[in-house]
Amino acid sequence: MSRTGTRARVRKPRRLRNLGLHAIVVVIGALIVVPIGYGVLGGFKSNQQLSTNPFGLPSPWVVSNYTDVLTSPDFWRQVGNSTFIAVATALIVVAAAALAGFVFARFAFRGRELLFTLFTMGLMFPFAVAILPLFVLLRSLGLLDNPLGVILPQAAFALPVTIIILRGFFRTIPGEVEEAATLDGCSAFGFFWRILLPMARPAIATVSVLAVVNSWNNFFLPLVVFNSPEWWTIPVGVQQFSGQYSTDTAKVLAYVIVAMLPALAFYAVAERQLISGLTAGATKG
Amino acid sequence: MASIVLSNVDKIYAGGVKAVNGLNLEIKDGEFMVLVGPSGCGKSTALRMIAGLEDISGGEIIIGDRVVNHLPPKDRDIAMVFQNYALYPHMTVEENLAFGLKLRKMPKAEISKRVGEAAKMLGLEQYLKRKPAALSGGQRQRVAMGRAIVREPQAFLMDEPLSNLDAKLRVSMRASLNTMHERLGVTTVYVTHDQVEAMTLGDRVCVLRDGLLQQVDTPQNLFDKPVNLFVAGFMGSPSMNFVNAELIRTEGGAAVAFAGYKLPVPDSTFADKAGLDQYIGKKIILGIRPSDFEDAVAANGHAGGWVRLPVRAEVTEELGSEINVLFLIDAPPVQHQDTVAAADAGDDEDATLPLVGDKSLWTARVNSRSHVRPGQNIELVVDTHNLHFFDPTSGLAIGHAANARI
Repeated sequence: MSRTGTRARVRKPRRLRNLGLHAIVVVIGALIVVPIGYGVLGGFKSNQQLSTNPFGLPSPWVVSNYTDVLTSPDFWRQVGNSTFIAVATALIVVAAAALAGFVFARFAFRGRELLFTLFTMGLMFPFAVAILPLFVLLRSLGLLDNPLGVILPQAAFALPVTIIILRGFFRTIPGEVEEAATLDGCSAFGFFWRILLPMARPAIATVSVLAVVNSWNNFFLPLVVFNSPEWWTIPVGVQQFSGQYSTDTAKVLAYVIVAMLPALAFYAVAERQLISGLTAGATKG
Repeated sequence: MASIVLSNVDKIYAGGVKAVNGLNLEIKDGEFMVLVGPSGCGKSTALRMIAGLEDISGGEIIIGDRVVNHLPPKDRDIAMVFQNYALYPHMTVEENLAFGLKLRKMPKAEISKRVGEAAKMLGLEQYLKRKPAALSGGQRQRVAMGRAIVREPQAFLMDEPLSNLDAKLRVSMRASLNTMHERLGVTTVYVTHDQVEAMTLGDRVCVLRDGLLQQVDTPQNLFDKPVNLFVAGFMGSPSMNFVNAELIRTEGGAAVAFAGYKLPVPDSTFADKAGLDQYIGKKIILGIRPSDFEDAVAANGHAGGWVRLPVRAEVTEELGSEINVLFLIDAPPVQHQDTVAAADAGDDEDATLPLVGDKSLWTARVNSRSHVRPGQNIELVVDTHNLHFFDPTSGLAIGHAANARI
């Protein structure tokens, strides 16, 4: 009797707490979903509908806003640019950071920790502070209006966190595996290439996803570097488009929504990698 | 296949710690040599120096007829098996086995032939397409062995390969290691801290302590004729009983006296152990193996000439075929540095009793017919032909051939 009594007493506050949690989740979810939903629906309205009927369902449904965007060559070029820059950045970052992480994790040499600290200090270096000297540097190198002008600085700024995650992961691989590989006839690089990288696949996936996402969302650097629309990335394109069509709100909404789709799709696929890899790096690093 | 010779090999780590100190060891072609000792004795370091994973600070290592001091590991033509298997987790069993051969640019047909043979020998055929994560511990261990076998090296080096397995599996793997060595006849160096493993596997066993070689001999000789207190205490389970005693001469001949007991020392012992007669009238350390005791009642028939020792059993450990009887004798425990070191290292089967006063705990291994119970008084008989005598200062066995030379 007494046992069921206490259980009942316990259950009540728990249900209350669950209710509270649910409420919070609903509110936070609404904060994110409502504007997006508004945008999606707004894209299906004409401008006149937007001003007369901002919150209702569109009637009639106007598809042209979306089809205009999807058939515009500018939009697709921007998607292509963003993709190219993101992939190139990720490749460079992962290649450089994996080699650096390998050396930091598995070789003992004088000044190793000092050098590593130097790399990690890059974490404390805000991008915005560097933008002016970076611009001057890129100009003198002739990298303005050149995708390398975005790819290389992005890769450089992504290096610290990537090295930290990869080094942490490489360190968890037991020394005996390396020794076994050495006895089997691997050189140091052979071990890195044939054993370490394949074993570190989850960590590599994580840092790649991080690099791609960061590059995809980067707005400031491409804005500064790319003057000609030929190289604009999606975020720059969205900004330029909304400046150009500021009166055509419905079209801007449609553009923004469509511009979000590739990133959403990528997240949906890579989300698990991102989360699991991040926590793995956190506990093991 | 090849012999391995270590001459005056030193290993000094940064900071001046001497892990291996002037090690001289000759491992014959096809021999199964076990390096045994407590942790930190330098046995693993010695093995890793043979493998080339550690530099040597001094001396010379010869595999076959080549000095390999500065040869990289992959060119020494040896294969190693690690305690934690060290398999490549992203490769299947087959790829794991073939990896070393592939790197050596062996023709594909030869690789698959060797992998097939090794898999057959180790019973891994149905697991070839699996990854190591999908294997049990014993299977992983066999893959690790297979990786060494397919290389067909001059020597196998094994670093405690069985200690990650559970007790039962360890025994069966021990047997298959033995048959594998019989079959392949490859020179093997095997490192373990488990003296039972050392005794059962080794053609010869090398006992190390603090980087110094103590004794190299066949398992039986190590057991019967330990060179010093450390080896005597380390080898054998339960470990040898020690007591400070005095060698005296009585009317009936020589005897050894301790804790109120007097055991006659047969004349043959003096003949065997040259120099023992010089210790008459002096203090010595006496060692008796637990297996040299027997219950007087159970042994009534054939123990006529043996000496009787009345004791009180404090604890009994029944092992089925035998019973370990733990009893106290009225003498302080021997606090020689060698016995202390060996006791720390050996796997402690002895239950620790709170010692009353200055008494030491001895173990006798008697036949299970004895039916002795804790708290009972029993009479033990001692085989006085197998008494061990040690010098109380140096800890060396008196009359041992190796010590006589010094």
